[in-house]
Amino acid sequence: MTEPERKRVLIADDDDDIRALICIAAKRAGVEIAASVDNGRDALAAVQKGGVDLAVLDISMPGLNGVEVADSIRSHESTRRTLILMVSASVQLLTDHGVVADRSDGFIIKPFSPRELSARIREMLELEGSA
Amino acid sequence: MTIDRWLRRISFDAPTPFMKQLPAIAGFGLALIITVLPMRTPVTAVAYVVAAFVTVAAASVLSVMLPWRRLGPEWSIVIPVITLIAVGMLRLGTGGAASPFGALLLLPFVWIASEEGRINVVIAALGTFLVLFAPVIVNHAPTSPGELVRAFFSPLVYLIVAAVVNEIAHRVRQQLAAAEAAAAQRKMLLEQAMQASDELALNESRLKTANRLISSIWNAVTEQSVIGTDLNGLIDVWNPGAEKMFGLTEKQVIDAKRHVVDFHLASELEERLRAMDFRTTTLSSAEDFSALVDAVRAGYADVRDWTYVRPDGKQIPVQVAATPRLGENGHRVGFIFVATDMTQAREFARLKDEFVGLISHELRTPLSSILGYLELMKDDDEDPLSDEQLQYLGVAERNAHRLLRLVGDLLFTAQVESGRFPLTLTDVELGTVIEASVESARPVADAAAVSLVAAPRTGDVVIEGDVLRIGQAIDNLISNAIKFTPAGGSVTVGLKHDADHVVITVTDTGIGIPAVELSQLSTRFFRASTATKNAVPGVGLGLTITKAIVTAHGGGLDIASEEGEGTTISMRLPLKAAEQAEPATLELGNRTGE
Repeated sequence: MTEPERKRVLIADDDDDIRALICIAAKRAGVEIAASVDNGRDALAAVQKGGVDLAVLDISMPGLNGVEVADSIRSHESTRRTLILMVSASVQLLTDHGVVADRSDGFIIKPFSPRELSARIREMLELEGSA
Repeated sequence: MTIDRWLRRISFDAPTPFMKQLPAIAGFGLALIITVLPMRTPVTAVAYVVAAFVTVAAASVLSVMLPWRRLGPEWSIVIPVITLIAVGMLRLGTGGAASPFGALLLLPFVWIASEEGRINVVIAALGTFLVLFAPVIVNHAPTSPGELVRAFFSPLVYLIVAAVVNEIAHRVRQQLAAAEAAAAQRKMLLEQAMQASDELALNESRLKTANRLISSIWNAVTEQSVIGTDLNGLIDVWNPGAEKMFGLTEKQVIDAKRHVVDFHLASELEERLRAMDFRTTTLSSAEDFSALVDAVRAGYADVRDWTYVRPDGKQIPVQVAATPRLGENGHRVGFIFVATDMTQAREFARLKDEFVGLISHELRTPLSSILGYLELMKDDDEDPLSDEQLQYLGVAERNAHRLLRLVGDLLFTAQVESGRFPLTLTDVELGTVIEASVESARPVADAAAVSLVAAPRTGDVVIEGDVLRIGQAIDNLISNAIKFTPAGGSVTVGLKHDADHVVITVTDTGIGIPAVELSQLSTRFFRASTATKNAVPGVGLGLTITKAIVTAHGGGLDIASEEGEGTTISMRLPLKAAEQAEPATLELGNRTGE
């Protein structure tokens, strides 16, 4: 057999620097970056194109926000199984009223440690630790 | 007319002895004229006549000279008695029983007889008898039986006349006294009536002033609606503020017999009734009204947020203070609802929340980049940094974390202020939380050369609380204590408990807080003078937040401090979580800030 296919991750954050940071953390986790986008609409399109195992979504984004993108992903059969990791600088948004808990498989609060984000991605995708 | 006027000037109510003597003076004056006129006046003994005029003159002088006020009125009969003697002498000198001046006798006689007291009747009669009988005694003249009879009969008549005069005078005096008393009483009543009238006028003026004041206050209250009801909620008071708020006039509301619950959002009333354990199936307006006045009926003033509904359906968020309306005997006769329109305040609070959220987000995002990339640099295994470079990055990282904590505190403060301060309650073992806080603060304490000690544990102390928030509160207290303690000092963290409460104490040997500033610690962003003087860093939020956390857990914070000696802060928490720990308000402040 050839080496196992690498897991594909979508990264969506409207802040270029943070997006780049998430990409680095994801690469260190040993995943392939399926797409790196700065708005919700592109994020949803990338997931709907297929082949995305994990979507890392910032909540505050122009166009569709992270919660709306997650709603759309969950409501379509083809994308329903895609894992979702929410990212936000607002502790309140992440913890209030189960808004995030009901729609995602995990969340991480900004500022985050790239090391911890890598570990989290590996854990969610059930990858062997390699860092 | 002139004489009339002149007479009116004389006071006849209380004539002086001289005035009473005036008729006698006039009588003797006339007698003198008649005596000296070249007529056949029968002067039989000049000495008597002269003595008579001298005596009456002396009596007249005495009537003026004697101090009557001191002597008293009963002594005034001395004057007519002397005058009577003078009449007797004049009579003796002018022919005795045949004297033409016998009639003068009447003048002093009437005076004596009319004086108060029966004794005067006797004096008048006896005097008269002596005067009439004097010629018989003095002249030793042979008297005819007729003269003798006259000498005895006349005094008897005079006695009767004296008695009659005395009685009439007595009655007249009584009537006069009664009339005077009646006049005095009338005068007094008149004065009382005048006084009452003055008081009435004064009260009326005061009432008018008070009315004007109340009316001007009433009309000035245009931004609050004041609604008064009877005990059942029927509106009978509707102020200009209510007119403005609802667009209905007082007449429209009162004539239509509107009920106060008509202007409330029904769902809110139902919700409140549910909270009060009322059945909610068939709600009558009486039960709806109970939702509004339940607390007031129980004796409390009630301030609560409600929503008023205008006739056009527009909803107005209001804060309503409900109070009892008391009648004359102090019993409750209704209720007063004073409502303040909170539309602007709510909008302001919402905007502030949004703003704080936005600022917090905008500050945390760049900090995320800074901290993330710093970590990437430190973790670069392929091209490791030198120790010096790592040290520089450590400084940058520490300061970025400091900034992050400040942002967190500001956000938390805003949450507490807006009343949105959620606690996640679990069982919290305080010994463990304290140990974790002490360990995380140890590097800072070591760097500051402050000895940090946790008192030995004496078994598990478990309370119901938010473990993260309680940890944050203890962290704040320890970090404060270290910051305010000079090198070589110590910070001790203790834990004790009784049946109801646990008390966590953080004691330092630091610079202390001046006693006058202890009360001001309850001001956000306040920093003690000892903090600024010693250039201890901070903004003044740490203790605010600690206080808010403790209050939210139903506990309290006590601070004891002595300048130059140290400070002990005690955090008291209930063993069982308070049933309804209200979200803390931001009244407390901090001596240091984080």
